Formats: sequence, C-alpha cells, structure tokens
Amino acid sequence: MSSRTIPVRFWLNGLPVERAVPPERILLDLIRDEIRLTGTKRGCDLGTCGCCTVLLDGVPVLSCLTLALRADGKSVTTIEGIGEPGRLHPVQSAFVECGATQCGFCTPGFVLTAVALLREHPHPDRETIVRAISGNLCRCTGYTKIVQAIERAAEAAP
Amino acid sequence: MSPATASGSPYRLLGGRIPYVEGPLKVTGRAEYTDDIHRSGTLVGRVLRSPWAHARIRSIDTTEARSLPGVAAVLTGEAYPTPFGVLPITHDETMLAVGKVRYIGDMIAAVAAVDEPTAERALAMIRIDVEPLPEFSDPRTGLTRVPEPIHERGLLGSNIQKQVLQHFGDVDAAFARAGATVRVRGQFAGVTHAFTEPLVTIAEATPDGRLTVWSATQVPHYLHRTLHEVLGIPMHRIRVIKPEVGGGFGGKSDPLPHELACAALSLATGRPVKMLFDREEVFYTNHGRHPTQNDVRIAAEADGTLLAYDIDTIIEGGAWSSFGTVTTYYNGVLAMGPYRVPNFRYRGRRVYTNKPPSGAMRAHGGTNIRYAVEVGLDELAEQLSIDPFDLRERNALPPHSTTVNQFRITSTSFRACLRAVRERSGWASKFRRLPYGRGIGLGCGFYISGSNSPIHFTPKMPQCTVHLKADMDGGIAVHCMQADIGQGSNTLMAAIVAEVLGVDLERVHVQRVDSDVSPIDLGSYSSRVTFMMGNAARRAAEGMRRQLVEAAAALLGYPAEQLEVVHERIQVRHRPEVGVDFMGALNRAMEAGGALQSSGAYSSPPMGGTFKGARAGTAPAYSFAAYVAEVDVDPETGVYRPTHVWAAFDCGRPLNRLAVEGQIEGSIHMGLGQLMGESMEYRGSRLMNPSLLDYKIPMPGQMPEIEVLLVGEDDPEGPFGAKEAGEGPLVAILPAVANALYDAVGVRCHAVPITPDRLLKGIDVRRSAGRPWKGE
Amino acid sequence: MHLDAFELHRPESLAETVSLARTWAGQADYLAGGTDLLPNYKMHLNLKPHLIALDRVPELGGLSLDRFGATATLGALERFPGLASAYPGVADAVAEVATPLVRATATVGGNLLVETRCFFFNQSHFWRQSLGYCLKADGDRCHVVPQKERCYATFSGDLAPALMVLDAEVEIAGPSGVRRIPLSDLYDRDGDGIRRLAWAPGELLVAVHLPPTARQYRASYLKLRIRPSFDFPELGVAVAARIDGDRWDDLRLAVGGLESYPRRFDELTAPLAGERWSEERLRQLATAVSAAVRPVRNTSLAPDYRKRMAGVYVRRAIDRMRRRVD
Repeated sequence: MSSRTIPVRFWLNGLPVERAVPPERILLDLIRDEIRLTGTKRGCDLGTCGCCTVLLDGVPVLSCLTLALRADGKSVTTIEGIGEPGRLHPVQSAFVECGATQCGFCTPGFVLTAVALLREHPHPDRETIVRAISGNLCRCTGYTKIVQAIERAAEAAP
Repeated sequence: MSPATASGSPYRLLGGRIPYVEGPLKVTGRAEYTDDIHRSGTLVGRVLRSPWAHARIRSIDTTEARSLPGVAAVLTGEAYPTPFGVLPITHDETMLAVGKVRYIGDMIAAVAAVDEPTAERALAMIRIDVEPLPEFSDPRTGLTRVPEPIHERGLLGSNIQKQVLQHFGDVDAAFARAGATVRVRGQFAGVTHAFTEPLVTIAEATPDGRLTVWSATQVPHYLHRTLHEVLGIPMHRIRVIKPEVGGGFGGKSDPLPHELACAALSLATGRPVKMLFDREEVFYTNHGRHPTQNDVRIAAEADGTLLAYDIDTIIEGGAWSSFGTVTTYYNGVLAMGPYRVPNFRYRGRRVYTNKPPSGAMRAHGGTNIRYAVEVGLDELAEQLSIDPFDLRERNALPPHSTTVNQFRITSTSFRACLRAVRERSGWASKFRRLPYGRGIGLGCGFYISGSNSPIHFTPKMPQCTVHLKADMDGGIAVHCMQADIGQGSNTLMAAIVAEVLGVDLERVHVQRVDSDVSPIDLGSYSSRVTFMMGNAARRAAEGMRRQLVEAAAALLGYPAEQLEVVHERIQVRHRPEVGVDFMGALNRAMEAGGALQSSGAYSSPPMGGTFKGARAGTAPAYSFAAYVAEVDVDPETGVYRPTHVWAAFDCGRPLNRLAVEGQIEGSIHMGLGQLMGESMEYRGSRLMNPSLLDYKIPMPGQMPEIEVLLVGEDDPEGPFGAKEAGEGPLVAILPAVANALYDAVGVRCHAVPITPDRLLKGIDVRRSAGRPWKGE
Repeated sequence: MHLDAFELHRPESLAETVSLARTWAGQADYLAGGTDLLPNYKMHLNLKPHLIALDRVPELGGLSLDRFGATATLGALERFPGLASAYPGVADAVAEVATPLVRATATVGGNLLVETRCFFFNQSHFWRQSLGYCLKADGDRCHVVPQKERCYATFSGDLAPALMVLDAEVEIAGPSGVRRIPLSDLYDRDGDGIRRLAWAPGELLVAVHLPPTARQYRASYLKLRIRPSFDFPELGVAVAARIDGDRWDDLRLAVGGLESYPRRFDELTAPLAGERWSEERLRQLATAVSAAVRPVRNTSLAPDYRKRMAGVYVRRAIDRMRRRVD
C-alpha cells in the first residue's frame, strides 16, 4: 500500500498537515476519520446534502467529493477553523441568536457557506443568500431562520 | 393580532425567545453526534441486505466469509430469534431475517471486520439459497386470504396487519337527512423523514459484563428495553447513551434492528463495533409515513352544521408492524377535531406489503386524514356557498367539551386561530377575487399533545421523571431521558428549572441522556415532551425551590410562606431588602445533607371511553391550527409556488417562541415537501429513489414567506399553560395549499404529491369540459 | 462509502496526457472536478483501474470569452466578467447546474461530457444487482424499454444545448493530433446512452471555442426540474438568434435532458429563415419540437409531461430571448 501513497501537505485551519494518502482517499474521510476533526459531517457521501462543506482556499466545496490530494498546497478551513477561542464568528453568533440551528447536523456546512458568501458579498440581498445556500440541505428549519441569521450577520458587518 | 400574542409574559424566561442552549456547540462543530465518537479498537459493522422482495430462506452459508482475514464475526438470524417491535402487541420483527426475507433491503446477516472494504468483501462471500415467493406490492391484493401471506399473523390468512371498525351515532341516518354531502378519495404516496444525520450506532461490550450502546435514537428507553429482550441481558447491565441526534421526525423512534445487530456483534467480538448506514440504507430502514388511500364522506345540514364523517382507509404497512396499530387508529380518530362531528364511522385497514416498513412520521397518522377532511370541507363550503372560515367557525369544538368518541378537549383557541389568519391574510379581499392563477386557501389542524397511552408501561407508572442535583458549585444538573433531537427540549427543560428556581439559565446543565443516570422518559414521539417533561421538570424544580426557601426561612428568621423567589435571590415579600442570594440559600440548605436533590414526575390523568381502541388518540391536551396559504400557479406548466403562509397555532402558552416558530417553519417545509414532490417512488416492490438527489426535499427558493401567529391561551394542565408545537403545525399546510390551488385554477387534487403534471392534467380536464374558472 | 483503489496518473502536459490515454485506452477515466465521476465510482458504476487527473495540464485550463478551457470550473465561468452580456444563454445554463458547491469544482468539460443518467443506472451496486443490472453497467438488458440492444439513459448536461446554439466548437486532442469539430458533432446521433460520443478511444476534450459571431446572437436557456437547485434537467431548451427587426434570422434551437444526446433542431428552424415573427409560426415550431422528442420514463417527471413541456419551453425560451433584445 505504502508505494501507492502520495505525500500531501496543506494548511488545516491555519496549522500545517503532512500526510501520505492513497489516491482514492477522500478529503472528508481524511478530516473526520484520520485527523478526527468531526465538525465536518457525513450526511450522504454523494454531494447531495452539503453537510460536509469545507472551504478550500476560501471556496466552499463538498469534501465528500474531493480527493484528499486536491488539498495539496492549499488551505482547508473546517468549522473548527471559524471563530476565535472564546469568541464566535459573527455568522456563528447570528445562528445562535436567531435559532438557526435545530438538530445542528447541517449547521457546520451552512456556517461555512455563509462565511464565504459574506466575504464575497458583505451585504447580500435575500435572493443572493438563497442562491448561495441552495446546495446545503436542512430538514429542520425550513431555512427561514438560517436566512434571517445570515441577514443579521451581514447587518453586523461593517 | 389577538391580545394573547401581544401581551407580555408573566415569567422571567418562559414566553421569551430563548436561544438553544447547545447552539454554541452546534455552530462550532463541537456538538458530539454518535458518529463523532471514537472508541479505541472499533470494528466496522455492515449488514447484508436482501435483493429479493419476498423469499423463503433455504440456507445461508457464511463459512467463506468467516475465514476471510480481518473478519471478526458473522451473524445470521437463527441465533437471535426473539421477535421484537416498538408496540408490545405486535412483535413481528427479528434482528436479522429468520426463515424469510420480506423486502428489498431486509437485513439478512451482519459482519464485523477491521475496515469497511473487508466487511464488504465478507458480505459478498455469504451464500444464500432462497425460494422466491409471490411479492405483494399493492396493499389491495392482500385484503383477502392469500397463499403466502407476508406474516403468519395477518388477519384470516390475509396481509391485513390491523383492522379497526368504529361507529358512533348513526352515520347512515345522518347521511339520509343531510342537506349536503361531499366525498374525497385521497391517495397519498409514502414519504420518509430524511433526517440529515444517517442512522448510526456504536456498541461496546466490556469485560465487566456490561454493554454500552450509543445510538442516534429518539427513544433511548425503548431501545434499552429491546436490547434486553432480544439479547437476553438484564437491563441494568445495559447502558444506553443518546449523543446529539441529527434529526428524527419519528424515523429514530422504533428500536431498529441494526442497533441490536451492532450490539450483538460487539458481544460476539468483545470489541467496540460501529455501524454507520449510508443514505440508501437509511431509505430502506424508512418507517416513514404510510402510503394511504382514504375514502372520506362528509355530511352536513344545509346551513353547514356537520352531521357525520364516514371514513374508509387503507394504509400500506410495508414489511413490519412498527407503530402501525396506532397509525391505523389515528387515520380515523384524528379526524375528530377541531370540529364537532356527532356521527362517525371508520374502517381502517393496515396491510403488509413487501416494501420497507412504514411507521411513525411527524404528525403521525394525522396528516393524510386531515388533508382529506380539510379539502372536503372546502368543497362543502363551496357547495353550500358558505365562506370556508364561516363553515369552520360554525363547527368548532368549544373549550371543555367531549367528542363523540370521547376525546376530552380542555383548552382550545381554535376560533382565535381562525380569526387571526382571516384578518392577517386579507382573506375577505382575496378569496375568489385574485386573478386566475393566483389563489388563497384555508386549512386547519388538530393534533395530540402527548399520547395518553404510554407504550410498555402500566398507566400507574409516570411517563416522565426529571431529577435535579445542586451542589457547592452552584450549578444545577438536570437528568432526564427525554430526547432532544433538535427540537429544543433541552433548552426548555433548562429554562423551566431556571424559571422556577429564579436562577440564571447558565447555572442549569442538562446532562446527556445516559440510562445509568437519566430517569426514564418515554422519548420524543407523539409530541409529548413539552407537556410531560415540562410538568415533570416543573415539579422537580418546585421541590428544590421548597428546600431552598426553607433554608432561606431559617437563615432570615421569617416563615417560608412570607418569602418569594426572585432573580438569583430569595427575599421577604413585604420587606424585599431582607433576603439571601441563591448561593447563600443553597449553602444553608446543603448543611443538612449535602447536595440537594429533587425529583418530579408526570402521569397523564385517566381519560377516554371503554370501547375497544378507546385510548387511541386520547391526550391530556390538543393543539389547534388554522393556516392560510397563497399560491401562484403557472397554468401552462402546472408549476406552482406557495408565496405566503399565515400560520396561526394554538400551543397554549408558547414557552420558547424561538423554538415554537422553528417548529412551525420546519413543519411547513416538511409538509410542503410531501405536498409538492416528496415521494417514496416504487416500481413493483422496488424503491426507485433511495437518495437525497431523487427524493425531493424542498430547497430554500421554494419556501414561502411565513408569518407565525401564536394565539393560544393557557392550557389548564400544560406546564405553564403550554401544549405541543412539534407535530400539529405540519398538518394544516397541505390542505391550505391544496385549497389555494383550487382557488387559483379551479382544480381539486385528491392525490398527493401534487406534482406539476398532475395539476396540469386537472387544468386540462377543466378546460376540456368547458368550465372556465375566475374569468380565465 | 469508500472508493476502491485505483492508479492515479497526474500528467503535466497535454502530450503526456494523450500518451497516457493511449496507453490505458479502455482502462482509464479522466478525472477533473470529480463531481460526476466520484459519486458514480462510489456506487461502483463502470469502475476503471486507472484515473488520469487533468488538474495539472495547463493546456486544458484557462478561461476567456473566446475559449473555455475544459478544466475551467463552472463556478469560475459563472463569475466570469462579461459572460452574461456576451452569452446570456450560457450564463443562464451555468447558473442552473446542480448547486454552488458542485459548481465550485465541476468543470466545463465535465458538464459537456457528463455521464448519461437513468433511474436504473444511477443506483448502488446493491440496487442494480437486485435487479440483475442493466445494459449500461454490468448487465445485458434495458429496464426502461425492455430489450437488449439500446440504452435509453438521458443526456443531462445544461451547458451543451446553450453552447450548441452558438455554433461552439470543441478542441479535441488525441493520438492523431488536435482537431476541432462543432460541439454538436461531439454527440453521436446514431449512438445511445452508452455509445454517446463521436470520438475515438484515447481522445480528450481540450477546450470549447466560441466563434466571433456568437456574440452577435441573443440567446436564452430554460431548464425544467422539480427543485430550483440540485436537480439535473428534466428538460433544457436553448435558443439563439440574430434579431433583424421582426424577422427570424438564423434561429437555432437545441434541447437536452430528454434523449441520449443534446439535439439541435436545424431541420425545424432553417425553414423559418427570413420569415416574420408570428405567434402562429412560433406555435408551429413548438409543436413540432414537442412532437419530435422522445423522452422515456427514466427520470422524476413523466415522459408525456416532459414532451409537452418541450413545446412550452421552446416558446418561452424564444420569448425570453426576444425580451432581451428589447
């Protein structure tokens, strides 16, 4: 097996990671099962729910459909990389205050999608928000409070 | 808005908007779900599923699979023959197939191996010899004696699992003298919960003779009991832990066979075993809403006074009984509110088929019958030229009344719900007045606030118990087996305790569900948690408050009855400057015997008639709803979109407005899913769409603007006046939109989901009959 | 779910890619964004032992209004300045592919070459095994139209119709060098859901080229599906025309999501050249398209509905295009 592995170096939430992975290793599996950062959720494994969203060089992608070696030389941000110790990111605070979490399983994906959205569009209109989150599935909230939370986070932004 | 929505709350926390206590953990990815738990040395558990819809097993050969390096155990059904099921009267499941397989996806064998590829290789090496049997994919073919019934326990050699026959009053006489009658023949595809967290269980048998099971479950107690019954281990040697759960909606409320198989694999190997289902396996596990055919006839006087319902329903059970006996009753008896109906006849039949099992799903048993009734009432109102609101006002059950089948109705603010949405939606200027293609419709709701009939327990045992402990740290630990699956019950429990004790919410720590320390609550189903846990938590907190007040009385030298509990302080009512803070009172109270403890419990009062099945549908309270929906229809394509929903709901006093709104918004989304496109799509017995791509959960762009109107008044028995808000909010949205579609394009849809092609067919029929609608 | 082991090749030039493709012809798939390939691999659909990753091949990248590199992502195309004014139909189409998360990695080439889809094909190995497999993977019969000759899987890309009506060309590299053909000719009209591309083994898509005339066309693309995101097209209609007063001038029309290949209807649009716009002619065209297409029962919406909607969407796509002129 070892001859099949490929060295991969990337930044994970600001810290360097070096691994040797077989080519078929999926980024989600590397993050969850090997590195054991479990905030990134496995909802469907087929790109149809968005629970496994991570930021790859700041862009939200589906980690269940990304080969780990694609992270080589890049920066990967998972939900654990959002916010500061003792201080939630404004998107996270807004999700808490608005009750945008229910079961919470889709929440990390939504938060990452929203963080990336607000970096690109600090003051998005509702339609832009709805389009941006249209790859993340939520079964609990009807999206209403998620949209509200993103609007509130945008209002809080300078 | 009614005064109730505008009035302030007399409580410090309750009645406000309380963010979920676990919110900060969920937004940071730190909330721990079952699959996030890592036990050292864990093996991977996988199951072999039946590719046959119905077959007799002649033999299973696991020799080769067992000898594969890396395989630790291979289990088959004969070694675990004890039948089980969520209802004690219908134990018809086994952990793994014994003798027969009954649907494509049925579990035949379980393997534990060092990794997933090895486990899958082992599964492929299991040889099974079967004799295929005739398969039943249509419940109507199983209504009479059949040569090879799916279960031996079917009624008179048929596939009927349960038949309910009820008759109150004289329905035939009522129809004979009726001024108007309508008939709705509803057809409903099955739908499934599709929670985002897949099913997952970890089991760990340890050398001390104990078995610990972590599972994504909403009924830890039934899982606990079933593990005991099937595996033959005393309950006190089994420990069930419920980590954070990523949604349930009823789909995690049966004890499920994989939870047992995972435990059996751990017992067989002595190692922890994790079984995580992929999405397709979650679809096969199903237990979703029953595919339903109902035939509902309604009779009324010429002035719109309801005379009778006559209902005949067939629900499709799939392979197992699950909650089906209850579902069969509910599909009739939950028609009994929110209106007075003096004559009622019901025949309900639940039929096994060779498909994934149906079970309990949010608004269990109440959704499809409610659709037929509310669409029927819309037709009746039109026939009698009565406004749909007036028709419902005329027939609304009053507070403190009894239905013909002896449901005890206590609080109801149904009329207030009607008034609120009638006004807020601008009904008078819109109904039948919007241009062709736009429409507005009314649908109402009624649901149980906790089943009075607990499963497994004699009525003498409490349905919920809550324990509190307060110690020198000034924190209050709350223990209870109630299962927060995202609905906010932990937050509510903490808020009730904090409210009664007068302390800050942050002092209250809700402990993870762990059967070793959590007193029993029956779990999150039948919309029972707020009502039952709420009362138990309140009583537990009141018990602790008494201890604190007595300690304060001793400290302050005033009698306890002259003291009052305020924020973080106990003081003399007429001399507020004399008092002691919470910690002072707590420390004094602990001098007598250390940490304070308190326990509270809830049992629902006796109720219901004495006839067969009388307890089905009885509840200590009921929720009520009136929803108005506005839709836009594209008459050329049949594509439609609900644009606005006004949702008035009577949950008594809303204790956490944030959570109640969340339940209503989420219910509307789930109900719209069933109405607009979700469907367990079968060809024969084969599920065609076991994926989140092909099972069409609505996306944000499909959601209407929602205005929530909470108009309830205090329920006499609910905790602080509260009733349920988790399931009742779902039922009204489907008929509200269907009736709005009628208002828009003049088409009645009795088949759900209402897909664009179905609506377009209706438009075609109307046009070809030369019946233009609203100046079309 | 895991991926079975495969051998990964990561060529760094087009020449190297072509050479690898020749070496492993029949045993390799190309890997670009992976959003189509990897779910299929997780479901064990026609696994190949070799994957040739295209992410390090500079010749395949790049994005301009004249040339879309095969490995340019749909997200980059969607955001590309000037796309909507130059090619409004392409902008319509790219924004409606799957979801933003998919578009972030999915590529132009991947969407043009997206695997055909079918209820009986896009299923797990377990599911397909329980039915005895199908023509398109591991089996020898079709369950949509029961027979053993032809696969009815449906072409489900959004970009192809929108690019075909602009006379886009594709640049194809292979053992015999680089060639350019009209995009329409990439799809094998005599093939089926399996034999769907008219190219030789070992060839690969390098780029899409937009002719200079393409910007003179007004265009639109309309997509039918149940949900506004995630879903593949149940029908996609692209139109383009040069507008000359009130005359039909060089109207082009292409339809996807109904059959095994995206189909241009020149035989129906050509006779309209030079005629005046009229509701009557428009209806005739819509009816003719609706009559010509042959959807089958292998997606979520019923085939008769999709067929009928083809006519409605043709009219609406043309309306939308015309409104863009005014």
